Amino acid sequence: MPLVHLEGVSKIYRVGDQEIRALDSVDLQIEKGEFVSIIGPSGSGKSTLMHLLGCLDAPTSGRMQICGNDLSSASQNRLADVRNREIGFVFQSFNLLQKLDVIENIELPLVYSGLPAAERRRRAEQVASDIGLGDRMANRPIQLSGGQCQRVAIGRALVNNPSIIFADEPTGNLDSATGKMILGMFSDLNASGKTIVLVTHDSNIAAVSRRVIEIHDGKIRREYRP
Amino acid sequence: MNLFVALQIGLREIAAHKFRSFLSMLGIVLGVSSLISTLALTTGIERGTRAFMQQVGGLEYVSVVNKEISNQMFDFWNLSPGRTLRDAQAISASAPLISHVSPELSFGAAISSGIQSDRRQIRGVFPDYFVVARHDPPFGRFLTDLDVERGLRSAVVGDEIARLLWPSLKPAAVVGKTLLINDRPFEVVGVLPKYERVEDKNSKTPGRNRGGISRSGRRYDPFRQKNEVVLIPFSTMFFDFRAGAFPMDSMETIRLDALTLRVGDLGHFRTALEQARAALEVTHRGVDDFDLETREEWFDRMESSIRATRLSGGLIATISLVVGGIGIMNIMLASISERVREIGIRLAVGARGHDIFVQIMAESISIAVIGGLLGVLASFGLIEILKLIAPSENAPIMTLGGIAFSVGFAVLAGFFSGIYPALRASRLNPIAALRYE
Repeated sequence: MPLVHLEGVSKIYRVGDQEIRALDSVDLQIEKGEFVSIIGPSGSGKSTLMHLLGCLDAPTSGRMQICGNDLSSASQNRLADVRNREIGFVFQSFNLLQKLDVIENIELPLVYSGLPAAERRRRAEQVASDIGLGDRMANRPIQLSGGQCQRVAIGRALVNNPSIIFADEPTGNLDSATGKMILGMFSDLNASGKTIVLVTHDSNIAAVSRRVIEIHDGKIRREYRP
Repeated sequence: MNLFVALQIGLREIAAHKFRSFLSMLGIVLGVSSLISTLALTTGIERGTRAFMQQVGGLEYVSVVNKEISNQMFDFWNLSPGRTLRDAQAISASAPLISHVSPELSFGAAISSGIQSDRRQIRGVFPDYFVVARHDPPFGRFLTDLDVERGLRSAVVGDEIARLLWPSLKPAAVVGKTLLINDRPFEVVGVLPKYERVEDKNSKTPGRNRGGISRSGRRYDPFRQKNEVVLIPFSTMFFDFRAGAFPMDSMETIRLDALTLRVGDLGHFRTALEQARAALEVTHRGVDDFDLETREEWFDRMESSIRATRLSGGLIATISLVVGGIGIMNIMLASISERVREIGIRLAVGARGHDIFVQIMAESISIAVIGGLLGVLASFGLIEILKLIAPSENAPIMTLGGIAFSVGFAVLAGFFSGIYPALRASRLNPIAALRYE
């Protein structure tokens, strides 16, 4: 059973009386342990695809299974549960909560999985030292560099030990050296068995992955291995 | 997410925006303190009024008063002897539901202890008087049937009279002293206890001596009146001071200055009045020159004014609490539109709409609870101010119930004003919220 299984999945947005077909009957399978890049120009539908795969939204039509959960027409609450258990997100703009310190940011997903406070703290501290921020746990995001912020975000994505990690342009706000370092982290994570889905518009970045899916006009145009 | 975590997040949010949170609490602070004060004021008025009702004899107290005779009856007015001792005897004999009858004669006279003197209204009474007028046990004793039967020169005086005439003695020590009434010697057999309001008892400041002697009473004050009585036996009053004026008068036929009754059982109030009226109609030979004055209407008026005060005060305070609630809602709406992105992030890492709802509610209720507690503190100050302004017999009384009610109401206001912002926040679309700048 693949981790991600899409069959004829479409997503249609209605703006006024205009229909926008952001995804048009997409078929896709991602196996456990893969490192996949989704590339395409802006407006191609790659963000929509990531939102569906990341359980932020349900498809308009088609069959969608993520980690064994049939989410073809799931409610927001069901999506939230799957998101909490199975998915970790890393965003371009880090999306850390400025008023929380590093350890609290990392802890955030665990708050919603109902773990006791001591257990949350223990796991978050473990992750913080894994990503090399053991000495910055009490800092606020504003006191960190961009690369450190993105590492915090990766830590947050890892803390509940998800099946898939989605990274949406994770190097977009970083200089190239730091970007390389972050991409290296994803490669390392993949090497240790994590499934990674990287969304980008840059085929050079996509080259770090082992499978590239190119999206154009809501359809998968081609797939290749770099 | 459990409630404890939600509460933690809410309190942090409040602490992060102290001034803004304080402003949004202010409505609740004012609402709670004014609600507590209003309740304290009405409790004070209620207690004051009830004490007043007790002191004036309670609902059982009925007064037989003279009435203007109607024109048709004018020719017969001579037939009626008016209020006399016979009325009292008739009521005692034939109105079993009237438990006590107190006929009274009064006379303005000079009173003196040999040390101090004054002019006072002296009242000649029967032992029943002490029951009808609700007097507490004195130092010494009340007047007795024996005093009346023998026409003894015994006197019972109020606390203020004892202090006035024997300034150096304790009231209890006045028992046994000789009181001169128009130069006739009377033995003081009893000194009545000091009647005072609850808050007079509590206050240790003699400077605000409201029970003080003042002959030109500003208004009817049952406490002062009861402290300033001079009572002698009815018969002694008649023979010593009243018999000379109209030689025709006998003790049975002299017109009374007051005739008051006590109804034994309030459950049979109407029937008791009927019995008294029937007895009086006989002694007054059918002339309609008397009336039975009861406290029912008077007390009803007081009760309904208490209710009206409570209602209007409560209403005003409630409005200010509602306004306070709207203030909270306003701030919560502003704060969630400022935190759309935060909510998006929380949703992205797996928060359910329900979690966001609980978080916003916890914050809103926390604001209300803190505001409510500050309001309780503020009300202590407010009540001190009110105590200076309010008439002394109605001094505000803070009750635990009033405080609990007000804080509870504030929490409710926080609850209801949180619902709409919390619903809005919990229904945010995660994708749109994440993109929000």
